[in-house]
Amino acid sequence: MSTQERETIELNLYQAHKKIYPREVKGRFQFKRKLAVVVLLGLFYLVPWLQMGGEQAILFDLPNRRFHILGLILWPQDFIFLALLLIIAAFSLFFFTALAGRLWCGYACPQTVWTEVFIWMEQLTEGGRNQRMKLDQAPWTWNKFRKKTSKQILWVTFALWTGFTFVGFFTPIRELANHIWIWQLGPWEMFWLFFYSFATYGNAGFLREQVCLYMCPYARFQSAMFDKDSLIISYDEQRGEPRMRGKKRRTENNPGDCIDCTLCVQVCPTGIDIRDGLQYECIACAACIDACDEVMEKSGMPKGLIRYTTEHSLSGKPSRILRPRVILYALVLFGLITGFVTAFMMRSPISINVLHDRNTFYRMVDSNTIENVYTLKIMNKGRETAQYQLSASGLPELSVVTDVDSDMLQAEPGQLISVPIKIRAPKKIANQRIHNILLSVMSGQHKNSEEVKYFGYKK
Amino acid sequence: MPTQPITKNKNFNARQVKRIFVRRLGIVIWVSFLVAAVQSMVFFALFDPVYLWQLSSWHIDISYWQGYAMGFACFWAFLFAAGYVIGIVMALPRAQLAKRIGTK
Ligand code: SF4
Ligand code: SF4
Repeated sequence: MSTQERETIELNLYQAHKKIYPREVKGRFQFKRKLAVVVLLGLFYLVPWLQMGGEQAILFDLPNRRFHILGLILWPQDFIFLALLLIIAAFSLFFFTALAGRLWCGYACPQTVWTEVFIWMEQLTEGGRNQRMKLDQAPWTWNKFRKKTSKQILWVTFALWTGFTFVGFFTPIRELANHIWIWQLGPWEMFWLFFYSFATYGNAGFLREQVCLYMCPYARFQSAMFDKDSLIISYDEQRGEPRMRGKKRRTENNPGDCIDCTLCVQVCPTGIDIRDGLQYECIACAACIDACDEVMEKSGMPKGLIRYTTEHSLSGKPSRILRPRVILYALVLFGLITGFVTAFMMRSPISINVLHDRNTFYRMVDSNTIENVYTLKIMNKGRETAQYQLSASGLPELSVVTDVDSDMLQAEPGQLISVPIKIRAPKKIANQRIHNILLSVMSGQHKNSEEVKYFGYKK
Repeated sequence: MPTQPITKNKNFNARQVKRIFVRRLGIVIWVSFLVAAVQSMVFFALFDPVYLWQLSSWHIDISYWQGYAMGFACFWAFLFAAGYVIGIVMALPRAQLAKRIGTK
């Protein structure tokens, strides 16, 4: 970015905000976006109501520190999976940005999705772009009051429902609904419900494109993933210029295809003119494509004056899809996903941790046998109470001994137990300074093992 | 205002300066909020807030929600403090700014 550009952007930051009235637009990309809105929001609002085996199918139960995901339970010890998942998400974002630009912003970002719905409600109550502009300038009359109030009622209801659903991901949503019904919300439920509702209302109702312009970190660093082969939405300057309209257009002998109707500017939710070139404000919503295509169709010119394209193809060079950058992101992504899936498949419902007694290496039990003392910690990550059996291997004639009752070797779901154990071996066999042996914990068909050090009898 | 805009050859009036300050304040609040959210997630996945408070110098018993909320508020406050001070320190001292404006 040149200093010139940087200064203008910085200056924009200091100007008062002007309200943007995006014009309604129909077309193939808007259809896809609406589809995305319906699918994503549908998922968001329905998923917490899904039940599975008598409990909520997806529930991030923070007070009990466990996540229920489609019948699986994840414990804090499984944090690695969550971390991996987030990293995978980040890399998919990089990958898709390199490949196809700001797809995320245009179609999937919650900011865009909720803003779409809020704008739709605005259109429903206040009418189209021109009507809205007029309404805002008009003095307060009964009619204006009525329109504005119905808009607010829609917005607030929708925002509250959103807040309610959001909290429903963290506490059982049916109970929550019940609590609301009898108006006995706990303080945290209350706080988060209103907090998230307020955030939705503010972000989608008022801040809108300003979130993308000033608040979103992704909007700032996405350009780092771009290259000249990434898909962007662009105006074909060679074809469109010199733009002209009306009478001038009819008399001029070689006008460009742009009839300067400014529809592409009016539909833009971030209020920019795509004809000025690629700008960081553009969230790639493709509204201007649809608007322009319609105009081109009506005036009998080929579509695609504004279109998805790449910088290379605009300048007449061939575009490549496979570039080092894309391949690199894809490889990393592939590696991460494989790692995640394997790790997840190998995840055991028994998690163990063995600590060797710090004070002695080994003890003599009788003249022929020695023992090592350990503290064994077992966490039950399964769904049922489990009874554990212990065994050791790696040396012949090893035996595991515990002084505790067998019900001390039992754990409820999510419980962590800690038992002192001894592993005995004949001293003739355990005759090295250190042996590596394997301690296994079993319960039903599940088994988990850990390699532990065994200090032998060596003079 | 503690943070003056660093923009060459621009003289801002009092209202603009105030607006700049408010915007920057908003940015610091917002970014520290985001980072505090991530920090809480990682931190509380690794440590159990209830145990931590029992182990603390005050041996307090709290509920999980209180634990999470206090942790989050603390992270946010400290991150905000860090961001705020960074903002002040990053803004060039007035004297230096004046010189740079004069030279161009
Ligand atoms: S710029 Fe940020 S907030 Fe806006 S649509 Fe893109 S990701 Fe979402
Ligand atoms: S320039 Fe076009 S694609 Fe970009 S934000 Fe505006 S309408 Fe959407």
